[in-house]
Amino acid sequence: MASERYSFSLTTFSPSGKLVQIEYALAAVASGAPSVGIKAANGVVLATENKHKSILYEEHSVNKVEMITNHIGMVYSGMGPDNRLLVKRARKMAQQYKLMYNEPIPTAQLVQRIAMVMQEYTQSGGVRPFGVSLLIAGWDNDRPYLFQCDPSGAYFAWKATAMGKNFINGKTFLEKRYSEDLELDDAVHTAILTLKESFEGQITADNIEVGICDANGFKRLDPATVKDYLANIP
Amino acid sequence: MASVLCPDFAPPGFSFENHQRNAFLVKKGFPAPKATKTGTTIVGAVFRDGVVLGADTRATEDTIVATKNCQKIHYMAPNMYCCGAGTAADTEFTTASISSQLELHRLNTGRVVPVVTANMMLRQMLFRYQGHIGAALILGGVDNSGPHLYQIYPHGSSDDLPYCTMGSGSLGAMAVFESRWKPNMSEEEAKLLVRDAVAAGVFNDLASGNNIDLCVLRKGTVDLLRPYEVANVKGQRINTYKYKKGTTVVLKQKVVPIVVEDEVVRKVPGPDGEESMDTS
Amino acid sequence: MSIMEYNGGCVLAMMGKDCVGIATDLRFGVQGMTVAYNYEKVFDVGPQLYIGLPGLATDTETVLQRLKLRVNLYELKEGRKLQPAVLTSMVANMLYERRFGPYFVEPVIAGWDSKKNKPYLSTMDLIGCITETDEFALAGTCSEQMYGMSEALWQPDLNADELFESISQAMMNAFDRDAVSGMGAIVHIIEKDKVTTRKIKTRMD
Repeated sequence: MASERYSFSLTTFSPSGKLVQIEYALAAVASGAPSVGIKAANGVVLATENKHKSILYEEHSVNKVEMITNHIGMVYSGMGPDNRLLVKRARKMAQQYKLMYNEPIPTAQLVQRIAMVMQEYTQSGGVRPFGVSLLIAGWDNDRPYLFQCDPSGAYFAWKATAMGKNFINGKTFLEKRYSEDLELDDAVHTAILTLKESFEGQITADNIEVGICDANGFKRLDPATVKDYLANIP
Repeated sequence: MASVLCPDFAPPGFSFENHQRNAFLVKKGFPAPKATKTGTTIVGAVFRDGVVLGADTRATEDTIVATKNCQKIHYMAPNMYCCGAGTAADTEFTTASISSQLELHRLNTGRVVPVVTANMMLRQMLFRYQGHIGAALILGGVDNSGPHLYQIYPHGSSDDLPYCTMGSGSLGAMAVFESRWKPNMSEEEAKLLVRDAVAAGVFNDLASGNNIDLCVLRKGTVDLLRPYEVANVKGQRINTYKYKKGTTVVLKQKVVPIVVEDEVVRKVPGPDGEESMDTS
Repeated sequence: MSIMEYNGGCVLAMMGKDCVGIATDLRFGVQGMTVAYNYEKVFDVGPQLYIGLPGLATDTETVLQRLKLRVNLYELKEGRKLQPAVLTSMVANMLYERRFGPYFVEPVIAGWDSKKNKPYLSTMDLIGCITETDEFALAGTCSEQMYGMSEALWQPDLNADELFESISQAMMNAFDRDAVSGMGAIVHIIEKDKVTTRKIKTRMD
């Protein structure tokens, strides 16, 4: 197409060797709602803030923690609309893998493929990088996995991490709190505490979202269950 | 670029790269070989609180029994199963592909997928291929609006019926339904009726046979009974035909021992290995 | 004559107790004329994973090459060995993609499933309709004879030695009644800790 010939990538190197578009994308992530992921001995937890600007907002109608396939879930910090596209692509890639190999996609494979999509948007013409970082939680090979995926297409495996607003405080908090033999229930507790660290206002079951992934697969906790966890938090 | 030469997943749609060669071979007097057919009796019936699907388990290649215990009741969604008759590969891949789309639909909408959605997806796909995909299907499931049963023909037409049969054994099975089906049956009645309908196919149609599989779908629960009944038991063998060791003359032998090495664990790049740009 | 009989050849595989065997004849012909008697139709895709591709020889080789490309890419990308069930699914997808212009091969796959720690056996038709079995699987020009032989000679829980005899005798006696296959045979017996490959003596006519 003729139009493609003239559509250059917006992500170009600065003289110092940096891709400022990617740094701006990371800035968008760092100013987004915080999210936390913790890997426990028997599962993974994802948690995020889902605060609304108005009391008129209908809670639990739009979710941030999403299931990709039975054993994988995902949450983001940054721009919601960008995330929707990635969720859709991730679900499709998981299904394609299943159809091709008759085997659920390994978490590491899915992460690699999502990262590939995100990388593509840093080098293609006429597009901008994604304004989101993802936390991807999975269970396969009888063990939990937790990955982070950045707008640059870089991905990392974590024991525990925080993203979005105040992520540095969140990480410092997790470094103090984390231990290798954490149980999933404790991990959920710690995740909520991490969110609470920088939470403005009262934390309730209506303004956070929690997802867990263990041998039974991934699920988003319903508000009643989240409420039970919150009851144990001073 | 491996992704160009051999993409992870083939581009959508069929490949016709061998078509011209194969057509040439036909002209030279080498007709295309036949694919496995299910040669089937598949049935379905609605009862008071759900749907019962039934199928035999024989697959045939012409007159040869290719498989004695194949599964013709395919998983579609947690609340839906689908029986397939016709070209075996077509029923298998059509249901798998639609099942995958239904799962995406379920995740994207966050609700129980209505059976009618699956019906529309199946018939639209089959109609698009104008009957060349030889899949005759019976789709059954229970959704928020109750039990549903659909009969779908290879050309893409479909009916919403209280009971139906398909495949080469459908006549015998339909005779059973026509004489004995009634509305609001209990689950046990329905299972027995469906069993008898499939058995009519198994014993009267040569292309159907072996076991009888059933699938009972109720609101919230599914039982896949495989086999529900071993309709034909192979006679017991009293003695064996084992050959003594050394009967076959070996000219050359090579034994390759499999030494289990350590499992290779692929390292995922950690946060230390990154460039300064990635601030995470 | 069917195109599946153009070059001749057959493959037979049987499941035993903690072992699985797969055998191939060695004839390569062009209709009635025998061209070679060292043409194996069973290939290794991994140390304990074999695929038999009887049918039209040109397609045997094309499918094998395309498959190896995919297998190698899979193993590099995922950093792990291919399980037999995954190979089966992969081949079936490859064949079904050409639903309306098929390759003329009927694959038989035998291997050791190291995840479940048990033998694996499957077969499919030329457009990829999979049958997984724990009895026997076969394909090729003398399939009718092999079905008959295998129904008699196969029984559950054969040990590796018995399995070798059953496969060899079933295949040998089957292709003795088939003009376009035979001319020697090779039998692989796959066990957890080893693979035994034997070339057996057969009629050479």
